[in-house]
Amino acid sequence: MKNASAADNRAHLVAWALLLPGLVFLGALFAGPLLWSLAGSLGLDQGLAGFTLEHYAQIFTRPALRSGLLVSIYYGVAPVAVTLVLSIGLALLLRRHFRGRAWFNGLYKIPMAVPGIIAALVVMTLAERGGFLDRLAAPLGLALPRLVRDPWGVGVILTSVWKQLPFMTLVITGAFAAIPQEVSHAARTLGAGRWRTLLWVELPMALPGISAAVLLTFIGTMGSFAIPDLVGPPSPRPLAVHMYAEFGSGHLPLVYAIGMLLSAFAVAVLLGYYALSARAARLLGGSARKDDHE
Amino acid sequence: MASLTLSGVHKSYGSTVALAPTDFEVPHGEFVTLLGPSGCGKTTLLRIVAGIASASGGEIRLGGRRIDTLPPEQRDVAMVFQTYALFPHMSVRKNLGFGLRMKKVASAEQARRIEHAVAICKLDGLLDRMPRQLSGGQQQRVALARAIVMQPALLLFDEPLSNLDAKLRESLRDELVALHRRVGTTSLYVTHDQTEAMAMSDRILVMNAGRIVESGTPLALYRRPVDAFTAHFLGHTHLLRLPVTGRGKDCRVSLPWGASAAIDDLADGADSALVSLRPEGLSVVPDADGAGEVTAASFTGAQVNYTVRIADLSLRITVTAGDGTRLLPVGQRVNVAVGERLHALKSTGQDSGHEARA
Repeated sequence: MKNASAADNRAHLVAWALLLPGLVFLGALFAGPLLWSLAGSLGLDQGLAGFTLEHYAQIFTRPALRSGLLVSIYYGVAPVAVTLVLSIGLALLLRRHFRGRAWFNGLYKIPMAVPGIIAALVVMTLAERGGFLDRLAAPLGLALPRLVRDPWGVGVILTSVWKQLPFMTLVITGAFAAIPQEVSHAARTLGAGRWRTLLWVELPMALPGISAAVLLTFIGTMGSFAIPDLVGPPSPRPLAVHMYAEFGSGHLPLVYAIGMLLSAFAVAVLLGYYALSARAARLLGGSARKDDHE
Repeated sequence: MASLTLSGVHKSYGSTVALAPTDFEVPHGEFVTLLGPSGCGKTTLLRIVAGIASASGGEIRLGGRRIDTLPPEQRDVAMVFQTYALFPHMSVRKNLGFGLRMKKVASAEQARRIEHAVAICKLDGLLDRMPRQLSGGQQQRVALARAIVMQPALLLFDEPLSNLDAKLRESLRDELVALHRRVGTTSLYVTHDQTEAMAMSDRILVMNAGRIVESGTPLALYRRPVDAFTAHFLGHTHLLRLPVTGRGKDCRVSLPWGASAAIDDLADGADSALVSLRPEGLSVVPDADGAGEVTAASFTGAQVNYTVRIADLSLRITVTAGDGTRLLPVGQRVNVAVGERLHALKSTGQDSGHEARA
């Protein structure tokens, strides 16, 4: 018995030793900066005596920052909602066979390789007053509405959608492709037309993939800086843009506080998603997600 | 009276013909099987009837109504798939109710039909399970029940037993036969398993290379196939092309090891005939001067399987093992006797590879 537990201990030690490089890496590059920011946001970089919640209070009391939080959420939610609808449509289109499908299948992924800042510049040249589209429309006597730096952030939404569409479409196409054809066919022979098969069978079955794609793009856009800074309205601005401005004027503790708030929000959304999908998995008697780990 | 009639139904992809123009009828209440090797077009044909694949032309009628122009959901057919194809995100109860909800059947009627299907498919106690909590056999029963509750004019089966293990396959096969007797729905069944086809069907349509080669009752197709392919595909057989001797009533064929046998159905003036020698239609006679030699013998309980080398052929011969049967040892010299009247087969040319290879 004694021997066995000694061997156990040794096995544990070996396991920890093997994990160490990874842990050091995560600690140095992830946990460290995060803790440093947390400490900074609470004024603890000045020592324990410096503890204050003032920087967090500022976010909720300064009107510009308070609306910044809402704008961040808006810039997270609105583009994702638009992208979701477009991506599902595209994924359904890509399931069919048509001429040039292979070409299209390759081309639609290009924006994934384009940095957000370039995408913003593209939208600016295209949709800015006096830009490409405006000049195209002018001879027809049409005036485009304000699309760049407009109060509703249409420019931001447009750019984000352009940027997110390939990723979301890729994931959703995959989620649809994973549904066995027979299941859809069974639904058809049981009296469900094309649309009802989509609504009651295919969408629910693709939901784990769709929701993961939504979540990842949401977190990505909520924290994005370049796009709202370039094509968003001057006011109100999202938290990420405020962060940059405060950084420029040297208010580091406030920058930390905003960063922590954005991260906390993203983590909360992530946890909410896990809780929901775990609950869904229980309801389904253990869904396909559980299967992956078995 | 819901009988299924196909006329001139065909399918091609570009210049590749997947299904030659096909006509057949499944009379009301009959259980008909499409039997053939993989790639012969049987599943394509079934999917065309279901409406989940489109035909290149032809007409399909169900109960007199033309259905080939309708989408699958309006055809009044239900299908059971090889992969079960249950809805994984719905409980068994929801799976069974899905079609009824889609067809807007009143809820009292829904409950009545589900209860009935649960009883005949033995699903008691499984209604609140999710599909992934069920075994393969249970899943296929649910799929079957899901089709039955629809009370369709036609039931389609696409190799529904192929994914199950041997024992379960046999018991579910018998249940399917019993169920068909009880419910009596016109059924079209696809399989590559000849035992399954013979055990279940009122009638079998043998398919090969995109066309129906022959049709008939299991008994007729096995005992007196017209086409060489049928003889070869149903059960085990040796196909031999033998020279004809004599004319008219005395017409006989010479067997490779010297003997001769009477033959029926010979075309006028033919000088050779293609015949099928079934292992159970041959017998071995021990003879020290015999032309053949036993090269393998295996006792399987009810019968003994011999392999006999004779006249450059390796023949499989099955002998029913009675009480007094003596096992012949390997190396024993024997003669081979033909116990049944032979008849000449028609060859469609698709089976030349099997001919005379025994």
